[in-house]
Amino acid sequence: MKKKLITVICAFAAAVSLCGAARAQSDRTPGIIRSALMGLEYEVKAGINIGGASPLPLPEEIRRIDSYSPMFCFSLEGDIVKWLGEKERWGIVFGLRLETKGMKTGARTKNYSMEIIGDGGERVKGNWTGMVRTRYHGTFVSIPLLAAFKANPRLRLHVGPYVSFMTDGDFSGHVYEGYLRENDPTGNKVEFEGDKRATYDFSDDLRTVQWGVQAGVNWKAFKHLTVSGNLTWGVSDIFEKDFKTITFNMYPIYLNIGFGYAF
Amino acid sequence: MIFFDRLMAWFYFCGKINRLFMKRNALAVILLFAGLVAVSCIKEEAPNAEADIESCTLAGDVLNRDPVIENDRVTLFLKKGTDLTSLSPEFTLTPGAMISPASGTERDFTTPQEYTVTSEDGRWKKKYKVEATTSGITTRDFHFENVRMEGKYQIFYETNAEGEEDWAWSSGNPGFAMTGVGKSCTDYPTYQSEDGYKGKCLTLTTRKTGSFGAMMGMPIASGNLFIGTFDLSSALTGQPLSATKFGKPFDYIPKSLHGYYKYRSGEVFYKQDASASDGLKPVPDKKDRFNIYAVFYESTKEMETVDGTNALSEDNPNVFAVAKIEQDEAVETDKWTLFEIPFKPRTGKTVDADKLKAGRYSLAIVFASSLDGDRFEGAPGSTLCVDEVTLEYKEPEE
Repeated sequence: MKKKLITVICAFAAAVSLCGAARAQSDRTPGIIRSALMGLEYEVKAGINIGGASPLPLPEEIRRIDSYSPMFCFSLEGDIVKWLGEKERWGIVFGLRLETKGMKTGARTKNYSMEIIGDGGERVKGNWTGMVRTRYHGTFVSIPLLAAFKANPRLRLHVGPYVSFMTDGDFSGHVYEGYLRENDPTGNKVEFEGDKRATYDFSDDLRTVQWGVQAGVNWKAFKHLTVSGNLTWGVSDIFEKDFKTITFNMYPIYLNIGFGYAF
Repeated sequence: MIFFDRLMAWFYFCGKINRLFMKRNALAVILLFAGLVAVSCIKEEAPNAEADIESCTLAGDVLNRDPVIENDRVTLFLKKGTDLTSLSPEFTLTPGAMISPASGTERDFTTPQEYTVTSEDGRWKKKYKVEATTSGITTRDFHFENVRMEGKYQIFYETNAEGEEDWAWSSGNPGFAMTGVGKSCTDYPTYQSEDGYKGKCLTLTTRKTGSFGAMMGMPIASGNLFIGTFDLSSALTGQPLSATKFGKPFDYIPKSLHGYYKYRSGEVFYKQDASASDGLKPVPDKKDRFNIYAVFYESTKEMETVDGTNALSEDNPNVFAVAKIEQDEAVETDKWTLFEIPFKPRTGKTVDADKLKAGRYSLAIVFASSLDGDRFEGAPGSTLCVDEVTLEYKEPEE
C-alpha cells in the first residue's frame, strides 16, 4: 500500500513539475487564458501538515502531556477555482488532496480505559494509571469543496467541508510505568515497573471515511506562486462508532502550510 | 534564455519562500499549540476511583505476622490468647475513600467481618472480608473438594468443623487471568477435576500464556497450588519468583506428607528464549517433571515468609525441614499412585518449643505441574492430578 502510494505521489510530483516547466516557457497557454476568461483557475500545491488527533476537550483521564511530535506529514493538492458573477468576488474551490496526518504523543493518564487484544485474540481489559505512548499515522485522499472569497486580487479566503478516505492507518503504542486495575477500578492491581510494557494496536478500528471542515487563506506572492495556510478540523471521530475502548472521541486537527503554482 | 531566467527566478523565490515558510512554520506551530491549549487544557483531576485497603493496624502488640492484604480480603494472624471478640482494626485507604464500618470500630472477629470501601468518586464499592485468627493451619487432610469462583478461575479452600471456609489455597491463576488466555476455569493452570482418587481432585496443567505472557517475559505458566499468598503486583514487576509467598503459621512439627497423584508430561518441552516471538525455544527429547514439596520454616522479622526465590535454598537460615518428592519417584503414570515424602530436618536445626507455641513457625505445601515452571521451563500440557493428601505431624506434648 505504502509503496503504491509513494509511486503515485512521485508521478504526481513529476507531472506537476513538468507542467510547471512547460507553463514557464510559454507563461500561459491559450487554454489557460480561455479558462481564466470563464472564471476558472487551476493550482497545484505541496505542503506539510502539523497537528494531531486529540480529544476535545481533553478528558479528565489525561493528566499530563509529556511529549508531542508532529512527525513528517505532507500534502499534495490540485485545485480548481470557479469564480462566479461579473465581479468574481465569490467562487467555489474543488480540490483533490493526497496527504498524510500523524503524531506521536506521550501522556500520563489516570484511570484510563484500556483493552488490549493479543495475537491469539486474548483480551485484557481494565483501567490504566500511568504512561501511555501513542503513534498515529494515516494516509488520506481528501476532497475539499470550499466557498471562496476574493479579498483582493492576490488574497483568497476560503472555507468549507472536506471528506477524507483513509487508504492506510496506524494507531498503536504502549503503556508503561503504571498499573492496571483488571476490569474496573476495584479489580486486581498489576504494576508495571522498569522496562515492563504492554503494546496495543487499534489500527483496525480506525474509521476509513472521515470528514471535517477547513478554512484558510491563499496568497498570490507572485504571478504564479502562491502561499497558503489551511486549518483542517475533523468533525468525525478517528475511530469507528462501535469502538468503545477509548471512551472519548478524538478529532484530527491539522494546520497545512504549503506553496503552490497557479496556472 | 527565458526559460533559464525563469528557473533562476523560481529558485530565488523558493529560497525566499522557504525562509518565510520556516518562520511561518514556527509561528504556526506556536499558534496551533496556543489554540489547542486554549480549547483543551488539562481538566481538573478527577476524584480517585479506587477503593483499596492499603494498610491495617491493631492496637497493642497482638499481631503474630504482618497483615496479609489482598485485593478483597485481609488476614490478621494474631498472637495466641488474643481476645478475638473485641478488635478495633484501623485501616488506611486509597486517598479520599471511605470505609464502613468506620476504621477503629470495635467488632467481634470470632467470625470474619465484612467491610465496604467506597471510592472517593463514590462510583465504586469494594467488599473486603477481614479475618482474624490465632491458630495457623489446622487442617491435616486435603480432599480438594471445595472450590469457589473468582472471576473466571477457581480457588480451592479448606473448611472448618462447621463446613464453612476456613482458609484458601493460593495459585498463579490471578496472574494467568491477566494474560486473557483463559476463557473458562479449565483453561487455567489450576482447576478442579471430576475423576479424583476420591470425589473430585486438584488438577494442574502447564499452559502457554499467549502474546501478553510472552511480552511480560513469562511465556508459560506451570499449574501450581500452594499454602501462602500470590502477590499479583510483584508477579509482573520482573520478580515472578517473589510473587509466590509461601506458608502460613503452623504450630506443630511436621513429619511427612502423603497422597495420590497422576502425571502426564506435555508433548514438547520448552526453554525460555527472549529472541523467539512466543518467548520459547523447544528442547528436543526432554520430558517434563512435576514437583511436590513442603517447607517448614521460622518466620523472623527479616524473613516473615519464604518465596519462590529462597524456599528450597540450601543456605536459607530460616528453613528447618523440607519434604520434597524424589525425582525418580515422580514418574509419568495414568494410575493413581501413592507418594509419601518425609520431612528431612536441616542439619543443626532444632525446633524451639516456646517459639512453636508462640506461633513463630510456618509451613508451606507446594504442588507444581512443571518442576522448573518458576523459570518458565516446561512442556505445555503437562498435567498433574493430586488427591487425598495428608500431612502427618507430631501431636503437641502436653
